[in-house]
Amino acid sequence: MALSANERERYSRHLLLPEIGEAGQEKLKAARVLVVGAGGLGSPASLYLAAAGIGTLGIVDHDRVDLSNLQRQLLFDTASVGAGKAVTARARLQALNNEINVVAHAVELRATNALELLGGYDCIVDGSDRLDTRYLVNDACVLLRRPLVSAAIHRFEGQAMTYIPGQGPCYRCLFPESSSAVAPNCAEAGVLGVLPGMLGALQATEAIKVLLGIGAPLVGRLMTFDALAMEWREFRFKRRTDCVVCGTAPSIKTLTDSEATCRTEITGKWPRFKPAELQQLLQSSGGAPAKTPLLVDVREQHEYATGHLAGSVNIPLGELGQRLPELPTDSAVVFICRSGRRSRTACELAARGGVRSVSDLEGGLIAWAAAIDPSIKVA
Amino acid sequence: MNTVRVPSPLRDYTGGAARISASGTTVAEILANIDRDHRGMRFRMIDEQDRVRPHIRIFINQREVLSLDEAVAPRDEIHLICALSGG
Repeated sequence: MALSANERERYSRHLLLPEIGEAGQEKLKAARVLVVGAGGLGSPASLYLAAAGIGTLGIVDHDRVDLSNLQRQLLFDTASVGAGKAVTARARLQALNNEINVVAHAVELRATNALELLGGYDCIVDGSDRLDTRYLVNDACVLLRRPLVSAAIHRFEGQAMTYIPGQGPCYRCLFPESSSAVAPNCAEAGVLGVLPGMLGALQATEAIKVLLGIGAPLVGRLMTFDALAMEWREFRFKRRTDCVVCGTAPSIKTLTDSEATCRTEITGKWPRFKPAELQQLLQSSGGAPAKTPLLVDVREQHEYATGHLAGSVNIPLGELGQRLPELPTDSAVVFICRSGRRSRTACELAARGGVRSVSDLEGGLIAWAAAIDPSIKVA
Repeated sequence: MNTVRVPSPLRDYTGGAARISASGTTVAEILANIDRDHRGMRFRMIDEQDRVRPHIRIFINQREVLSLDEAVAPRDEIHLICALSGG
Protein backbone atom coordinates (compact mmCIF):
# COMPACT_ATOMS: atom_id res chain seq x y z
CA MET A 1 0.00 0.00 0.00
CA ALA A 2 2.07 2.89 -1.35
CA LEU A 3 2.26 6.22 0.46
CA SER A 4 1.06 9.45 -1.13
CA ALA A 5 3.18 12.61 -1.15
CA ASN A 6 1.09 13.99 1.70
CA GLU A 7 1.58 10.83 3.72
CA ARG A 8 5.33 10.92 3.17
CA GLU A 9 5.40 14.39 4.64
CA ARG A 10 3.01 13.57 7.50
CA TYR A 11 4.99 10.50 8.53
CA SER A 12 8.44 11.88 7.67
CA ARG A 13 9.75 11.38 11.22
CA HIS A 14 8.76 7.73 11.03
CA LEU A 15 10.35 7.36 7.62
CA LEU A 16 13.66 8.51 9.12
CA LEU A 17 13.65 5.60 11.55
CA PRO A 18 15.36 2.54 10.09
CA GLU A 19 13.04 0.32 12.16
CA ILE A 20 10.01 1.79 10.36
CA GLY A 21 10.97 3.51 7.11
CA GLU A 22 8.69 3.54 4.07
CA ALA A 23 8.06 -0.20 4.15
CA GLY A 24 7.03 -0.06 7.82
CA GLN A 25 4.80 2.95 7.28
CA GLU A 26 3.11 1.10 4.42
CA LYS A 27 2.52 -1.80 6.79
CA LEU A 28 0.87 0.55 9.29
CA LYS A 29 -1.28 1.96 6.50
CA ALA A 30 -2.45 -1.53 5.62
CA ALA A 31 -3.05 -2.46 9.27
CA ARG A 32 -6.39 -2.69 11.03
CA VAL A 33 -6.43 -2.02 14.80
CA LEU A 34 -9.43 -2.14 17.12
CA VAL A 35 -9.42 -0.14 20.34
CA VAL A 36 -11.87 -1.55 22.88
CA GLY A 37 -13.18 1.27 25.05
CA ALA A 38 -12.89 4.97 24.24
CA GLY A 39 -12.00 5.85 27.80
CA GLY A 40 -8.90 6.89 29.70
CA LEU A 41 -6.70 4.30 28.00
CA GLY A 42 -8.49 4.25 24.67
CA SER A 43 -8.14 8.02 24.26
CA PRO A 44 -4.34 8.31 24.16
CA ALA A 45 -3.98 4.91 22.51
CA SER A 46 -6.30 5.78 19.64
CA LEU A 47 -4.96 9.33 19.26
CA TYR A 48 -1.39 8.04 18.88
CA LEU A 49 -2.45 5.19 16.61
CA ALA A 50 -4.36 7.59 14.39
CA ALA A 51 -1.42 9.97 14.30
CA ALA A 52 0.89 7.06 13.51
CA GLY A 53 -1.10 6.27 10.39
CA ILE A 54 -2.87 3.03 11.23
CA GLY A 55 -4.89 2.61 8.03
CA THR A 56 -8.08 1.34 9.65
CA LEU A 57 -8.74 2.20 13.27
CA GLY A 58 -11.86 0.82 14.95
CA ILE A 59 -13.31 2.19 18.18
CA VAL A 60 -15.84 0.14 20.11
CA ASP A 61 -17.77 1.83 22.91
CA HIS A 62 -21.50 1.99 23.53
CA ASP A 63 -21.32 4.64 26.23
CA ARG A 64 -21.91 8.36 26.16
CA VAL A 65 -19.51 11.10 27.21
CA ASP A 66 -19.93 12.15 30.82
CA LEU A 67 -18.55 15.37 32.31
CA SER A 68 -16.49 13.28 34.75
CA ASN A 69 -14.72 11.63 31.77
CA LEU A 70 -13.02 14.85 30.70
CA GLN A 71 -10.42 14.73 33.50
CA ARG A 72 -8.61 12.01 31.51
CA GLN A 73 -10.38 11.08 28.28
CA LEU A 74 -8.69 13.43 25.85
CA LEU A 75 -10.72 12.33 22.85
CA PHE A 76 -13.55 14.46 24.15
CA ASP A 77 -14.19 18.05 25.13
CA THR A 78 -16.86 19.93 27.01
CA ALA A 79 -19.08 20.14 23.95
CA SER A 80 -18.99 16.33 23.67
CA VAL A 81 -20.82 15.73 26.96
CA GLY A 82 -23.88 13.61 26.33
CA ALA A 83 -22.78 12.52 22.86
CA GLY A 84 -22.00 8.94 21.87
CA LYS A 85 -18.36 8.10 22.52
CA ALA A 86 -17.62 6.00 19.45
CA VAL A 87 -19.03 8.52 16.99
CA THR A 88 -17.42 11.48 18.77
CA ALA A 89 -14.10 9.67 18.89
CA ARG A 90 -14.30 8.95 15.17
CA ALA A 91 -14.79 12.65 14.40
CA ARG A 92 -11.84 13.62 16.61
CA LEU A 93 -9.51 10.97 15.18
CA GLN A 94 -10.56 11.65 11.62
CA ALA A 95 -9.84 15.36 12.18
CA LEU A 96 -6.41 14.44 13.50
CA ASN A 97 -5.63 12.30 10.47
CA ASN A 98 -7.81 12.42 7.36
CA GLU A 99 -5.59 9.90 5.60
CA ILE A 100 -6.89 6.99 7.68
CA ASN A 101 -10.26 5.29 8.00
CA VAL A 102 -11.80 5.42 11.47
CA VAL A 103 -14.70 3.06 12.15
CA ALA A 104 -17.10 3.70 15.04
CA HIS A 105 -18.68 0.63 16.64
CA ALA A 106 -21.29 2.05 19.00
CA VAL A 107 -22.18 -1.33 20.44
CA GLU A 108 -21.59 -3.18 23.68
CA LEU A 109 -18.99 -5.87 23.22
CA ARG A 110 -20.64 -9.16 24.10
CA ALA A 111 -20.07 -12.85 23.50
CA THR A 112 -22.52 -12.70 20.63
CA ASN A 113 -20.63 -10.06 18.63
CA ALA A 114 -17.02 -10.25 19.87
CA LEU A 115 -15.69 -12.78 17.37
CA GLU A 116 -17.19 -11.02 14.38
CA LEU A 117 -16.07 -7.59 15.59
CA LEU A 118 -12.54 -8.49 16.65
CA GLY A 119 -12.12 -10.84 13.71
CA GLY A 120 -12.14 -7.87 11.36
CA TYR A 121 -8.93 -6.48 12.83
CA ASP A 122 -5.23 -7.44 12.93
CA CYS A 123 -4.49 -6.28 16.47
CA ILE A 124 -6.66 -5.49 19.48
CA VAL A 125 -5.95 -2.80 22.09
CA ASP A 126 -7.96 -3.35 25.26
CA GLY A 127 -8.75 -0.29 27.31
CA SER A 128 -12.07 -1.45 28.71
CA ASP A 129 -13.25 -0.56 32.18
CA ARG A 130 -14.59 -3.94 33.25
CA LEU A 131 -12.77 -7.14 34.08
CA ASP A 132 -15.52 -9.16 32.46
CA THR A 133 -14.88 -7.40 29.17
CA ARG A 134 -11.13 -7.96 29.57
CA TYR A 135 -11.69 -11.72 29.78
CA LEU A 136 -14.08 -11.64 26.84
CA VAL A 137 -11.52 -9.74 24.72
CA ASN A 138 -8.69 -12.04 25.81
CA ASP A 139 -10.66 -15.17 25.02
CA ALA A 140 -11.75 -13.81 21.65
CA CYS A 141 -8.14 -12.92 20.78
CA VAL A 142 -6.95 -16.41 21.71
CA LEU A 143 -9.72 -18.07 19.70
CA LEU A 144 -9.15 -15.76 16.72
CA ARG A 145 -5.35 -15.85 17.10
CA ARG A 146 -5.12 -12.07 17.23
CA PRO A 147 -2.46 -10.12 19.15
CA LEU A 148 -3.79 -8.27 22.18
CA VAL A 149 -2.29 -5.29 23.98
CA SER A 150 -3.93 -5.06 27.37
CA ALA A 151 -3.66 -2.40 30.07
CA ALA A 152 -5.57 -1.44 33.20
CA ILE A 153 -5.41 1.33 35.77
CA HIS A 154 -6.42 1.98 39.38
CA ARG A 155 -5.85 5.17 41.36
CA PHE A 156 -2.10 5.81 40.77
CA GLU A 157 -1.21 2.35 39.42
CA GLY A 158 -1.24 0.79 36.02
CA GLN A 159 -0.35 -2.54 34.47
CA ALA A 160 0.14 -3.73 30.90
CA MET A 161 0.97 -6.86 28.96
CA THR A 162 0.91 -8.08 25.37
CA TYR A 163 -0.34 -11.40 24.05
CA ILE A 164 0.89 -12.74 20.74
CA PRO A 165 -0.61 -16.08 19.69
CA GLY A 166 1.87 -18.90 19.87
CA GLN A 167 4.56 -16.74 21.44
CA GLY A 168 3.59 -16.48 25.09
CA PRO A 169 0.97 -16.40 27.83
CA CYS A 170 -2.44 -14.77 27.59
CA TYR A 171 -4.21 -12.58 30.14
CA ARG A 172 -5.84 -15.62 31.74
CA CYS A 173 -2.39 -17.16 32.27
CA LEU A 174 -1.66 -14.14 34.44
CA PHE A 175 -5.02 -13.82 36.17
CA PRO A 176 -7.02 -17.00 35.48
CA GLU A 177 -10.27 -15.61 36.75
CA SER A 178 -11.72 -12.60 38.41
CA SER A 179 -14.81 -10.53 38.72
CA SER A 180 -15.51 -6.86 38.84
CA ALA A 181 -16.64 -7.35 42.43
CA VAL A 182 -13.00 -7.65 43.54
CA ALA A 183 -11.48 -5.08 41.22
CA PRO A 184 -13.11 -1.69 41.40
CA ASN A 185 -13.10 0.46 38.28
CA CYS A 186 -12.17 4.12 37.95
CA ALA A 187 -15.69 5.32 38.77
CA GLU A 188 -15.55 3.55 42.12
CA ALA A 189 -11.91 3.85 43.12
CA GLY A 190 -10.81 7.07 41.44
CA VAL A 191 -7.84 7.52 39.13
CA LEU A 192 -5.17 10.11 38.49
CA GLY A 193 -6.16 11.69 35.20
CA VAL A 194 -2.65 11.56 33.74
CA LEU A 195 -2.18 7.87 34.57
CA PRO A 196 -4.09 6.39 31.59
CA GLY A 197 -2.07 8.74 29.39
CA MET A 198 1.07 6.84 30.40
CA LEU A 199 -0.44 3.40 29.92
CA GLY A 200 -2.44 4.26 26.80
CA ALA A 201 0.68 5.61 25.10
CA LEU A 202 2.44 2.39 26.07
CA GLN A 203 -0.36 0.41 24.43
CA ALA A 204 -0.05 2.37 21.18
CA THR A 205 3.70 1.75 21.23
CA GLU A 206 3.19 -1.97 21.73
CA ALA A 207 0.58 -2.19 18.95
CA ILE A 208 2.93 -0.47 16.48
CA LYS A 209 5.79 -2.81 17.49
CA VAL A 210 3.58 -5.86 17.09
CA LEU A 211 2.33 -4.75 13.67
CA LEU A 212 5.85 -4.02 12.45
CA GLY A 213 7.48 -6.99 14.16
CA ILE A 214 10.12 -4.78 15.77
CA GLY A 215 11.59 -4.59 19.26
CA ALA A 216 10.64 -6.74 22.22
CA PRO A 217 6.95 -6.59 23.03
CA LEU A 218 5.63 -7.27 26.52
CA VAL A 219 5.09 -10.97 25.85
CA GLY A 220 5.27 -12.92 29.11
CA ARG A 221 6.11 -9.68 30.86
CA LEU A 222 3.76 -7.76 33.12
CA MET A 223 4.74 -4.12 33.24
CA THR A 224 3.51 -2.20 36.27
CA PHE A 225 3.63 1.51 36.90
CA ASP A 226 3.31 3.37 40.18
CA ALA A 227 2.85 7.08 39.55
CA LEU A 228 3.34 8.06 43.19
CA ALA A 229 6.69 6.27 43.45
CA MET A 230 7.35 6.98 39.74
CA GLU A 231 8.45 3.38 39.31
CA TRP A 232 8.10 1.04 36.36
CA ARG A 233 8.56 -2.63 37.20
CA GLU A 234 8.57 -5.76 35.13
CA PHE A 235 7.47 -9.23 36.20
CA ARG A 236 7.99 -12.35 34.13
CA PHE A 237 5.24 -14.93 33.87
CA LYS A 238 4.78 -18.05 31.81
CA ARG A 239 2.02 -19.62 29.79
CA ARG A 240 -0.01 -21.99 31.95
CA THR A 241 -0.46 -25.38 30.39
CA ASP A 242 -3.73 -25.60 32.33
CA CYS A 243 -4.98 -22.23 31.06
CA VAL A 244 -8.66 -22.65 30.27
CA VAL A 245 -8.38 -20.80 26.98
CA CYS A 246 -4.78 -21.07 25.68
CA GLY A 247 -3.62 -24.19 27.57
CA THR A 248 -3.06 -27.65 26.20
CA ALA A 249 -6.64 -28.78 26.85
CA PRO A 250 -8.73 -25.59 26.82
CA SER A 251 -12.27 -25.71 28.14
CA ILE A 252 -13.18 -22.37 26.57
CA LYS A 253 -13.87 -23.05 22.92
CA THR A 254 -16.65 -20.58 22.36
CA LEU A 255 -17.48 -17.28 24.00
CA THR A 256 -20.08 -16.80 26.69
CA ASP A 257 -20.89 -13.68 28.65
CA SER A 258 -19.69 -13.86 32.22
CA GLU A 259 -22.17 -14.08 35.05
CA ALA A 260 -21.26 -10.55 36.01
CA THR A 261 -22.04 -9.27 32.53
CA CYS A 262 -25.40 -10.96 32.68
CA ARG A 263 -25.90 -9.68 36.19
CA THR A 264 -25.72 -6.09 34.99
CA GLU A 265 -28.94 -6.77 33.15
CA ILE A 266 -30.75 -7.92 36.23
CA THR A 267 -29.56 -5.48 38.84
CA GLY A 268 -33.18 -4.54 39.32
CA LYS A 269 -34.04 -8.07 40.37
CA TRP A 270 -33.58 -7.38 44.05
CA PRO A 271 -34.92 -4.26 45.74
CA ARG A 272 -32.52 -1.57 46.84
CA PHE A 273 -33.24 0.75 49.71
CA LYS A 274 -32.16 4.34 49.60
CA PRO A 275 -30.77 5.40 52.99
CA ALA A 276 -33.95 7.27 53.97
CA GLU A 277 -36.10 4.29 52.96
CA LEU A 278 -34.04 1.89 55.06
CA GLN A 279 -34.15 4.25 58.00
CA GLN A 280 -37.93 4.42 57.70
CA LEU A 281 -38.17 0.63 57.50
CA LEU A 282 -36.06 0.19 60.61
CA GLN A 283 -38.05 2.78 62.53
CA SER A 284 -41.43 1.39 61.47
CA SER A 285 -40.52 -2.12 62.50
CA GLY A 286 -40.05 -0.84 66.03
CA GLY A 287 -37.59 -3.58 66.80
CA ALA A 288 -40.19 -6.33 66.48
CA PRO A 289 -38.22 -9.41 65.48
CA ALA A 290 -40.75 -10.56 62.90
CA LYS A 291 -40.71 -7.21 61.13
CA THR A 292 -37.10 -6.16 61.57
CA PRO A 293 -34.86 -7.13 58.67
CA LEU A 294 -31.50 -8.66 59.42
CA LEU A 295 -28.81 -6.17 58.47
CA VAL A 296 -25.77 -8.01 57.14
CA ASP A 297 -22.62 -5.98 56.61
CA VAL A 298 -20.55 -7.80 53.98
CA ARG A 299 -17.41 -5.71 54.31
CA GLU A 300 -14.17 -7.04 55.77
CA GLN A 301 -13.80 -7.21 59.54
CA HIS A 302 -11.53 -4.20 59.79
CA GLU A 303 -13.96 -2.07 57.80
CA TYR A 304 -16.80 -3.18 60.05
CA ALA A 305 -14.72 -2.39 63.13
CA THR A 306 -14.18 1.17 61.95
CA GLY A 307 -17.88 1.87 61.86
CA HIS A 308 -21.16 0.10 61.14
CA LEU A 309 -24.91 0.36 61.46
CA ALA A 310 -26.24 -0.47 64.90
CA GLY A 311 -27.73 -3.94 64.96
CA SER A 312 -25.92 -5.16 61.85
CA VAL A 313 -23.92 -8.37 61.80
CA ASN A 314 -20.67 -8.80 59.92
CA ILE A 315 -20.26 -11.55 57.33
CA PRO A 316 -17.50 -10.60 54.88
CA LEU A 317 -18.49 -11.26 51.28
CA GLY A 318 -15.73 -13.84 50.89
CA GLU A 319 -17.28 -15.90 53.72
CA LEU A 320 -20.90 -15.45 52.74
CA GLY A 321 -21.14 -18.60 50.63
CA GLN A 322 -20.14 -20.78 53.57
CA ARG A 323 -22.15 -18.87 56.13
CA LEU A 324 -25.47 -18.75 54.30
CA PRO A 325 -27.03 -21.10 56.89
CA GLU A 326 -26.70 -18.25 59.39
CA LEU A 327 -29.20 -16.20 57.39
CA PRO A 328 -32.93 -16.47 57.99
CA THR A 329 -34.93 -17.93 55.13
CA ASP A 330 -38.26 -16.63 56.42
CA SER A 331 -37.51 -12.95 57.08
CA ALA A 332 -35.89 -10.13 55.17
CA VAL A 333 -32.16 -9.64 54.84
CA VAL A 334 -30.63 -6.30 53.88
CA PHE A 335 -27.01 -6.41 52.77
CA ILE A 336 -24.77 -3.44 53.41
CA CYS A 337 -21.29 -2.62 52.18
CA ARG A 338 -19.19 0.44 51.58
CA SER A 339 -20.57 1.70 48.27
CA GLY A 340 -23.33 -0.72 47.28
CA ARG A 341 -21.26 -2.93 44.99
CA ARG A 342 -20.39 -5.91 47.18
CA SER A 343 -23.91 -5.88 48.58
CA ARG A 344 -25.28 -6.55 45.06
CA THR A 345 -23.08 -9.59 44.77
CA ALA A 346 -24.25 -10.66 48.21
CA CYS A 347 -27.88 -10.40 47.08
CA GLU A 348 -27.19 -12.78 44.24
CA LEU A 349 -25.28 -15.24 46.41
CA ALA A 350 -27.96 -15.29 49.08
CA ALA A 351 -30.82 -15.56 46.61
CA ARG A 352 -29.12 -18.52 44.97
CA GLY A 353 -28.62 -20.02 48.39
CA GLY A 354 -32.34 -19.97 49.12
CA VAL A 355 -32.74 -16.76 51.12
CA ARG A 356 -36.16 -15.58 50.01
CA SER A 357 -36.16 -11.88 50.76
CA VAL A 358 -32.91 -10.14 49.90
CA SER A 359 -32.25 -6.48 49.34
CA ASP A 360 -29.42 -4.05 49.87
CA LEU A 361 -28.56 -0.48 50.75
CA GLU A 362 -28.07 1.62 47.63
CA GLY A 363 -24.82 3.55 47.80
CA GLY A 364 -23.76 1.61 50.87
CA LEU A 365 -22.55 3.17 54.09
CA ILE A 366 -21.05 6.10 52.19
CA ALA A 367 -24.56 7.10 51.16
CA TRP A 368 -25.89 6.39 54.66
CA ALA A 369 -23.24 8.63 56.21
CA ALA A 370 -24.00 11.39 53.71
CA ALA A 371 -27.78 11.27 54.08
CA ILE A 372 -28.54 9.97 57.57
CA ASP A 373 -25.67 9.82 60.00
CA PRO A 374 -22.48 11.79 59.27
CA SER A 375 -20.95 10.53 62.51
CA ILE A 376 -20.57 7.01 61.18
CA LYS A 377 -17.00 6.29 60.10
CA VAL A 378 -16.58 4.48 56.79
CA ALA A 379 -13.25 2.71 56.26
CA MET B 1 12.57 -8.45 57.54
CA ASN B 2 11.37 -8.45 53.97
CA THR B 3 9.78 -5.58 52.13
CA VAL B 4 6.36 -6.33 50.77
CA ARG B 5 4.90 -4.14 48.01
CA VAL B 6 1.16 -3.73 48.35
CA PRO B 7 -1.08 -2.98 45.34
CA SER B 8 -3.52 -0.12 45.75
CA PRO B 9 -6.67 -2.33 45.93
CA LEU B 10 -5.25 -3.93 49.10
CA ARG B 11 -4.02 -0.77 50.77
CA ASP B 12 -7.19 -0.40 52.78
CA TYR B 13 -5.60 -3.05 54.99
CA THR B 14 -2.28 -1.24 55.40
CA GLY B 15 -3.56 2.21 56.22
CA GLY B 16 -2.68 3.29 52.71
CA ALA B 17 0.93 2.08 52.89
CA ALA B 18 2.38 0.94 49.56
CA ARG B 19 5.14 -1.02 51.25
CA ILE B 20 5.14 -2.90 54.52
CA SER B 21 7.63 -5.12 56.30
CA ALA B 22 7.11 -8.77 57.18
CA SER B 23 9.45 -11.55 58.13
CA GLY B 24 9.43 -15.18 57.08
CA THR B 25 11.49 -17.84 55.37
CA THR B 26 8.70 -18.88 53.01
CA VAL B 27 5.94 -17.03 51.18
CA ALA B 28 3.38 -18.72 53.44
CA GLU B 29 5.12 -17.46 56.58
CA ILE B 30 5.32 -13.96 55.24
CA LEU B 31 1.61 -13.95 54.36
CA ALA B 32 0.75 -15.25 57.83
CA ASN B 33 2.81 -12.49 59.41
CA ILE B 34 1.24 -9.88 57.17
CA ASP B 35 -2.17 -11.04 58.39
CA ARG B 36 -1.08 -10.72 62.01
CA ASP B 37 -0.40 -7.02 61.47
CA HIS B 38 -3.11 -6.40 58.88
CA ARG B 39 -6.03 -8.63 59.74
CA GLY B 40 -8.12 -9.90 56.87
CA MET B 41 -5.52 -9.09 54.22
CA ARG B 42 -4.39 -12.67 53.71
CA PHE B 43 -7.96 -13.79 53.02
CA ARG B 44 -8.19 -11.29 50.18
CA MET B 45 -5.23 -13.08 48.55
CA ILE B 46 -5.50 -16.71 49.65
CA ASP B 47 -8.65 -18.83 49.64
CA GLU B 48 -9.85 -21.43 52.14
CA GLN B 49 -7.86 -24.14 50.36
CA ASP B 50 -4.63 -22.15 50.71
CA ARG B 51 -4.57 -21.33 47.03
CA VAL B 52 -3.64 -17.94 45.69
CA ARG B 53 -6.84 -16.32 44.50
CA PRO B 54 -7.02 -16.15 40.70
CA HIS B 55 -6.99 -12.36 40.52
CA ILE B 56 -3.82 -12.16 42.62
CA ARG B 57 -0.23 -12.96 41.69
CA ILE B 58 2.74 -13.01 44.02
CA PHE B 59 6.30 -12.42 42.88
CA ILE B 60 9.60 -12.74 44.72
CA ASN B 61 11.60 -9.93 43.22
CA GLN B 62 10.70 -10.46 39.53
CA ARG B 63 10.10 -14.20 39.75
CA GLU B 64 6.57 -15.56 39.89
CA VAL B 65 5.63 -17.60 42.93
CA LEU B 66 4.18 -20.98 42.00
CA SER B 67 3.93 -22.39 45.53
CA LEU B 68 3.42 -20.75 48.91
CA ASP B 69 6.19 -23.01 50.21
CA GLU B 70 8.78 -21.24 48.10
CA ALA B 71 11.74 -20.01 50.12
CA VAL B 72 12.27 -16.32 50.69
CA ALA B 73 15.76 -14.94 51.31
CA PRO B 74 16.26 -12.14 53.84
CA ARG B 75 16.60 -9.38 51.27
CA ASP B 76 14.01 -10.61 48.81
CA GLU B 77 11.24 -8.21 47.98
CA ILE B 78 7.72 -9.61 47.80
CA HIS B 79 5.38 -8.07 45.24
CA LEU B 80 1.66 -8.59 45.56
CA ILE B 81 -0.05 -7.94 42.25
CA CYS B 82 -3.79 -7.57 41.86
CA ALA B 83 -5.79 -7.62 38.62
CA LEU B 84 -6.90 -4.07 37.87
CA SER B 85 -9.99 -3.31 35.87
CA GLY B 86 -9.99 0.42 35.29
CA GLY B 87 -9.67 1.80 31.82
